[in-house]
Amino acid sequence: MNDKGTWEFGTRQVVYGAIGAALYGVLSWASNFVPLPAAGNVTFRPAVAVLIFFAVAYGPWVGFLAGIIGNTLGDALSGWGFYWNWSLGNGLMGLVAGLAAAAISDFRAQKDIIKAVGWGIAGVAVGMLFASLTEMFVGGIDLNTALVGYFTPAFIGNTVVTAILVPILMIAFAAVASRRGR
Amino acid sequence: MLVTWKYRPRNTFIQSLDPRTRLIFMFSIILALTIPEIWDYRLILAIFAIALTLYLMARIEWKDVRRIWLFIFILVFFIVGLNGLLSGRGGPSSVTNLPSPIIFNVPIKIPFTDIGWDVPITVSKAWFAITQVTRMMTMTLLALPIPYTTDPNVFGTAFKRMGAGDKFAFTMDLAFRFLPTFARDFIITMDAQRARGYEMDKLKGGIPERLRKLSPFIIPVVMQSTVTGEEVIDAMDLRAFGTKPRTWLKVLTYAPRDYVILGLGVAIFIACCTLKWGFGIGGYFVPDFFSNWILGL
Repeated sequence: MNDKGTWEFGTRQVVYGAIGAALYGVLSWASNFVPLPAAGNVTFRPAVAVLIFFAVAYGPWVGFLAGIIGNTLGDALSGWGFYWNWSLGNGLMGLVAGLAAAAISDFRAQKDIIKAVGWGIAGVAVGMLFASLTEMFVGGIDLNTALVGYFTPAFIGNTVVTAILVPILMIAFAAVASRRGR
Repeated sequence: MLVTWKYRPRNTFIQSLDPRTRLIFMFSIILALTIPEIWDYRLILAIFAIALTLYLMARIEWKDVRRIWLFIFILVFFIVGLNGLLSGRGGPSSVTNLPSPIIFNVPIKIPFTDIGWDVPITVSKAWFAITQVTRMMTMTLLALPIPYTTDPNVFGTAFKRMGAGDKFAFTMDLAFRFLPTFARDFIITMDAQRARGYEMDKLKGGIPERLRKLSPFIIPVVMQSTVTGEEVIDAMDLRAFGTKPRTWLKVLTYAPRDYVILGLGVAIFIACCTLKWGFGIGGYFVPDFFSNWILGL
């Protein structure tokens, strides 16, 4: 998993990092127009599945860049401001999910899809935990608010989206990749 | 429905500042409040006044930020403020450790059981909730105007000039350029699916089913973007991207006003550290006027 291929940072990573970030930003922005399902204070953001998919398909650097820049773009488009810890949390979410890239060879295979979803959920846990806990230092909230008010809704919503949409994206990608031969 | 940036050119002092100045100033304030753990209302109020002044100087129209402010108020007052009032946690231990008069008790009961207890609301907790809300609002006042007052095209250059690597800065720059294209692709896809009879506004079923039904909008855009990526990689490789350090078209230069704001940010950071660690000023305490007022009610 720590071979050069996984951690290589070249033109491919720059381009797919930018594409992943732009898609993450656009889909976050589109959430304003598309009615999304919600339960209680948990909202389900399909954009997260795109971030996890890019990480799984192109590696940890792409996941990191797509998360950190994509969240900044989404916030900029929607007008939320600039919150460095949430952007970095999203970057970590992509970075951890991207560790699955080296272990995946067939995007249609059930075991590879399970690996991708598993790493994706691990990424969601790490990224959202980082963002929620740093809010204790940045915003001065207590551990209880960080875990119950911030982390839990974000983790549940993003996990459900990852488990449902990432397999669909992977199967669609397998068809596209086989047609292009890359 | 076109993708539109919140940024609009305005002839204001804030927008004449270098974007690096804005980001560095914001980080200086965050560090000034968090590293020396400032909870003294006098210092927080002074910094809040500076942040509010800068926010008002940005002259952002209320209609643009009304919805965002509503959400922030709910988050800050109800989630953070109420939690601070009930628990008193999240700040210095002196909020709950030092003896403080009880204002009233809030009875909490587990529904459908007889189990319950009283949560005492002390003067210290009440003042802490006010202080914490003010502290969070200070940071929000600095963070919120950035997308409204910073040209999106200079983010890549700004991060490069702040020390980020060429590849990170270029990724950022490229992402900003791709964004309108993908937004357009998304809108075309949405219209195409609607023309085929897909009723986006009436997604039925449970949450998994409704999420799954969003895939006809997401899959075409994402898959097309992966194909676009290969073409862009080829074009960049042909131009030998990444073989040498890059030059940047946009040039950012600090003006005297930038040095003033940067100096102010650094001065606030140094002042907070010096007061806290050198003179013991900046820790949490409840002012007498608040205790007298609230106990007199």
